[in-house]
Amino acid sequence: MNQKKRILVALVILVVIGGAVLGLEALRRRRIAQANLEPGSIPIYVRGNVEAAFTPDDLDSLDQVSFEDAEEGKTQRGWMLRDVLLLHLSDEDLTPETQITVSSSSRDKSAQVTWAEVTDTENMVMFDLSGRGTLKLVSKLDRLNTRDEWVQDTDRIEIELP
Amino acid sequence: MRERYFSTFQLILLALFAALVVVAKIALRTPIQMPGHSGIFWMAIVVVAAGVVPKPGAASIVGVTSGILAGFLGMGDFGALNTFLSYTAVGIGTDLALLLLQDPENPVTAPISAALGHTGKFVVKWALSAITGAPAGFIALGLARALVGYVVFGALGGLLGALTLKALRRAGFFSYVAEKI
Repeated sequence: MNQKKRILVALVILVVIGGAVLGLEALRRRRIAQANLEPGSIPIYVRGNVEAAFTPDDLDSLDQVSFEDAEEGKTQRGWMLRDVLLLHLSDEDLTPETQITVSSSSRDKSAQVTWAEVTDTENMVMFDLSGRGTLKLVSKLDRLNTRDEWVQDTDRIEIELP
Repeated sequence: MRERYFSTFQLILLALFAALVVVAKIALRTPIQMPGHSGIFWMAIVVVAAGVVPKPGAASIVGVTSGILAGFLGMGDFGALNTFLSYTAVGIGTDLALLLLQDPENPVTAPISAALGHTGKFVVKWALSAITGAPAGFIALGLARALVGYVVFGALGGLLGALTLKALRRAGFFSYVAEKI
């Protein structure tokens, strides 16, 4: 086989791999889509009931913020949890003591923060878009500022009103 | 006595390249906020390793060794197993691509080999997320964007690696190494 053919074969392999991954992901999105909820969207539960969902359409109305994490010095860029919640809930419903739980069922991880912590912009409680397109809860809070403590592949937000 | 596939000197070189991959991942930063952007550094190192030790399996050894180092250093957002397997996939992917395309010094074949190797990392990360039942991507085209990032930055890293190998050859590095092996 001459070099031109080898290059062509390599490029075909690259395209086939890419096409296979994107095709399978599209099938997966369709399979795991929930009723009335766009695939990838994050439902927001208030007192156990789905009140709203954080959807990709919301991104148009949210400002992006960023910070450099202390652990690896990487830039975490995304959308503040405060802004996400205020898109769907009224500020009056949320008190400083309101507990907000962000969790990932696939990773069996969760993090609990209060509304007071979320609204303090110094804490940078926000969602970063991971390389594979899922959302990751990150922050500068002392108890939530390392990769072990962050919530990767977030798929649920729960709010416990006092 | 049967001759060993890799000499001790070659294994030391490959271990150094593996350490360099991890150091590059920790120390080098780019302002580019795109998935896979770090591939520009480490695919260059993997391609140089495959050129300096021109034997099938050299890139895989760099991948496995850097994966072990990165796993123990707690690098990556998705845990040590994910980190180890994705680094290993880079090495194995590059080796397989070089078996087909061969010359890591060629400015055309090196970028393609590196793009394939880097795509191996992307595939492993995606497969692990699908197996563990991770939610679908938040943005529908997020995965496609990530794939393009991995291919482009992997290819740029491969080109950088090929240019580095050419510079090393001009500097007489390969004649020097030949005396050591």
